[in-house]
Amino acid sequence: MSESTQVSDRTTTREQAPVRPGATKWRWAAAAALLAAAVYAPFQLVPFHVFQLTMVLIYAVALLGLNLLVGHAGQISLGHGAFFAVGAYTAAILLDRWDAPYPLTLPVAALVAFVLGLAFGVPAMRLRGLYLALVTLAIAIFLVPLLKRFEEVTGGSMGLSLAKPAPPAWTGLAEDQWLYFLALAVTVAAFLLAASLLRSRVGRALHAIRDNEAAAEVMGVRPAYYKTLAFAWSAMFAGIAGCVYTWVIGFVSPDSFVVNLSITLLAGLVVGGLGSLSGPVLGALFVMFVPSISQDINEAAPGVIFGLLIIAVMYVAPTGLAGLAGRATNSIKKTLRKG
Amino acid sequence: MSELAVHDLHAGYGGAQVLHGVSLTVAEGEICAILGPNGAGKTTLLRALSGMVKGRGSVKLDGAELLGRPPDALARLGVAHVPEGRGTFMPLTVEENLRLGAYVRRSGVEDDLERIYTYFPALKPRLKQAAGSLSGGEQQMLALGRALMLRPRLLLLDEPSLGLAPLITRELFHIVRTINEQERTTVVVVEQNAHLALGVAQQAHVLETGRIVLSGTAADIRADEQVAQSYLGYRV
Ligand SMILES: Nc1ncnc2c1ncn2[C@@H]1O[C@H](COP(=O)(O)OP(=O)(O)OP(=O)(O)O)[C@@H](O)[C@H]1O
Ligand SMILES: [Mg+2]
Repeated sequence: MSESTQVSDRTTTREQAPVRPGATKWRWAAAAALLAAAVYAPFQLVPFHVFQLTMVLIYAVALLGLNLLVGHAGQISLGHGAFFAVGAYTAAILLDRWDAPYPLTLPVAALVAFVLGLAFGVPAMRLRGLYLALVTLAIAIFLVPLLKRFEEVTGGSMGLSLAKPAPPAWTGLAEDQWLYFLALAVTVAAFLLAASLLRSRVGRALHAIRDNEAAAEVMGVRPAYYKTLAFAWSAMFAGIAGCVYTWVIGFVSPDSFVVNLSITLLAGLVVGGLGSLSGPVLGALFVMFVPSISQDINEAAPGVIFGLLIIAVMYVAPTGLAGLAGRATNSIKKTLRKG
Repeated sequence: MSELAVHDLHAGYGGAQVLHGVSLTVAEGEICAILGPNGAGKTTLLRALSGMVKGRGSVKLDGAELLGRPPDALARLGVAHVPEGRGTFMPLTVEENLRLGAYVRRSGVEDDLERIYTYFPALKPRLKQAAGSLSGGEQQMLALGRALMLRPRLLLLDEPSLGLAPLITRELFHIVRTINEQERTTVVVVEQNAHLALGVAQQAHVLETGRIVLSGTAADIRADEQVAQSYLGYRV
């Protein structure tokens, strides 16, 4: 196979529209509007909806990590939920055993997930495609029995119950609002971190490997190094998300982190859209709301509706919801210009 | 800038041997053309020189052995390879592609970008454009520019004329010549368009089924009528 075939394969599947100078301005405006809405929302919604939005933020951080691996490094993982669980349990154990202060659990959870990601990433980077999918799936499968096995630390199948972080009096916020703002702060920081990572030399190297590994290598980029690192970063973001999950739910148990979580996360990311920053947000909305909507539609078999909705979205928007949104704004702008 | 010495190079893919003992030298700052029919192993030769395929024998750049090192290590030593099909990163912007060319260096990148724009003014207005949206000629310029961003000691070009109009091809070869003269970069160029390649090269080798069947100065090879007919496929 020559390099040219690999390159032309990409050409047909990707958008090639030249970047217009106004595009970045639009994007900043959209991000600012979104952030303003996010700050305003918890004061307008009932606590249950605030909680749901908090979960969306948590999933968005997890999907952001998965997106680094799948969308930007071109790898796959069916075990992302396991690293989410690692973050959640690290925070829970720190709180339960050592009465650690909340802020401390976040960097520790991130670090533990990163190191574990690195440990799995080294052998994983030798694998490709379905083989990698299978190995990462195995990580997700053995996690639950492992958590049940080390009962003294993890609480076994009973899990661990913890106090949620209390809102400081000066904020005047209710508990659900405080948790929401904690999650929002972590999410914004995570997105800024990921965005700056992707804009740097590191991001270019990742994209180069994804688009044409052989050509990247002759330019001095080491694919093995970056694939391992991408795996570790993706695990780190999952760990951060898991930690915030523990804060917000105040309870962890092995049954919250079954294989299904990993698969739902991957499905959510693909539905949301690979390789863009809005993809994880849209994917998180999908992961949070679609299963409960499908439950409303059909109590007996929510899985069927969920599955059918995935198929429907992929049929209408093969590049994910983010791609669909991009196309929609483009055509709206075109109509506006004409009118 | 550097002298390339290839001695008894064997290389191939898995079990299939493609190169059967290739030897050649390229003097510092010279351009060497590799000619030959399809499937002769020209691309394989360049791949062996840049570490993309493994080889046996010896490949020395200024006396340092290149064989056995991975491609990224060779890039660090100053070997820049514009592969067959150009190896452009289509979804990335023109500027990102150029910056990737300088991946192994951290200093002087901005100056080098400016230098590339003077060689290829056509690229400058398209910096923020996806590389995949460039025309074939522009993409070949980008590929060459990207290779120059490495500040190569050895530049390997695989069929730069492929798919380009004759006028653009001539312009491109002119630029290769200019670069070679101004920066004293040693160049190995594989080319189907023998006439053009021999026009810029000092030395030329004809490769056939993995062996060099003819070597000489570009002028000699061009003058040899029989060679012209049997290997290069045109009449003088
Ligand atoms: N990746 C590969 N795997 C296996 N065999 C290969 C591979 N690439 C090339 N070959 C074989 O090696 C031989 C030489 O190929 P190579 O690409 O080096 O020829 P070439 O001289 O560059 O030809 P062309 O002028 O058509 O580009 C051919 O027989 C080809 O089938
Ligand atoms: Mg070839």
